[in-house]
Amino acid sequence: MDIVLRAIVLYVFVIFIMRVIGRRELSSMTPFDLVLLIILGDAIQQGLTQDDYSVTGAILAIGTIATLQVLTSYLSFRFPPLRRVLEGEPIVLVDHGKFVHRNLRRDRMTEDDIAEEARQQQIASLDKVQWAILEANGSISFIKSE
Amino acid sequence: MADIPDRIVLRRHRDLEGRGWQIWLRRGLFALLPVLAILGLLNVFGQRPESTTKSVDAASLKLYAPSRVRSGVLYQARFHIAAHQDLRQATLVLDPGWLESMTLNTIEPAPVGEASDNGRLSLDLGHIPAGGSYLLFLEFQTNPTNLGHRSADVSLKDGNRMLLQINRTITIFP
Repeated sequence: MDIVLRAIVLYVFVIFIMRVIGRRELSSMTPFDLVLLIILGDAIQQGLTQDDYSVTGAILAIGTIATLQVLTSYLSFRFPPLRRVLEGEPIVLVDHGKFVHRNLRRDRMTEDDIAEEARQQQIASLDKVQWAILEANGSISFIKSE
Repeated sequence: MADIPDRIVLRRHRDLEGRGWQIWLRRGLFALLPVLAILGLLNVFGQRPESTTKSVDAASLKLYAPSRVRSGVLYQARFHIAAHQDLRQATLVLDPGWLESMTLNTIEPAPVGEASDNGRLSLDLGHIPAGGSYLLFLEFQTNPTNLGHRSADVSLKDGNRMLLQINRTITIFP
């Protein structure tokens, strides 16, 4: 029974961490972020299964987390305000080619971060960018000037 | 020129109208994380050992053990008995909380005898001459499913004669 309770507690805590740390940290993959994800995964696994090496234990843990994931997804779909809480909302980072610095600061991002992300999307110059939007999933969408 | 992207409302998504409080909520919640870490450093969640000493004319007992542990951790309890007078049959009596959902890995040195003293674990340590001391180590592991707050009193007896008692509790965090 306790493995199910541990799975529930850890799932809620991970959701909390993901929302509090900020979307960029968990969606980008700088070496630091990768290390963070590995440490998180390892710490969660140990707290979740502890000394239980049984198949039953693994099935219970995975089943509980999968159920919670579907439940969270359904609740987000059913109740839009909850979706904003659980997943966040888009934030405009570049408006008509100009940085919105207040929004960059809010997510601890610099102009260099935006330029790097743009280069990864084959955009050489930010002069060509009309909009840059930090999406709820942590990725940045670029919409070029026509 | 691209128009405003669909579903983007500039007042909400660029100017963050009505969302100013969200960042402060996030920062406030984030502040809980270092608070947790600081509480951990302050031993709120164990398992740093603490010393408790009690002394009477016949003997003194110093207990060095954590009073807060977490499920799954290994820890040690050390009992140091100093005999001020001759103790013919020094006996340590431990509350059941010491062993409830705990794995007792070892007791060193092995006691002369073990028994139940009205439901408590009684360890017969044998004779300790006046001026002598006895050091007993118990090595535990908290069972992963263990959780809660239990009495973990320790009594020192000489035969059936109660000499002293240390009152303590042990708290097990999940």
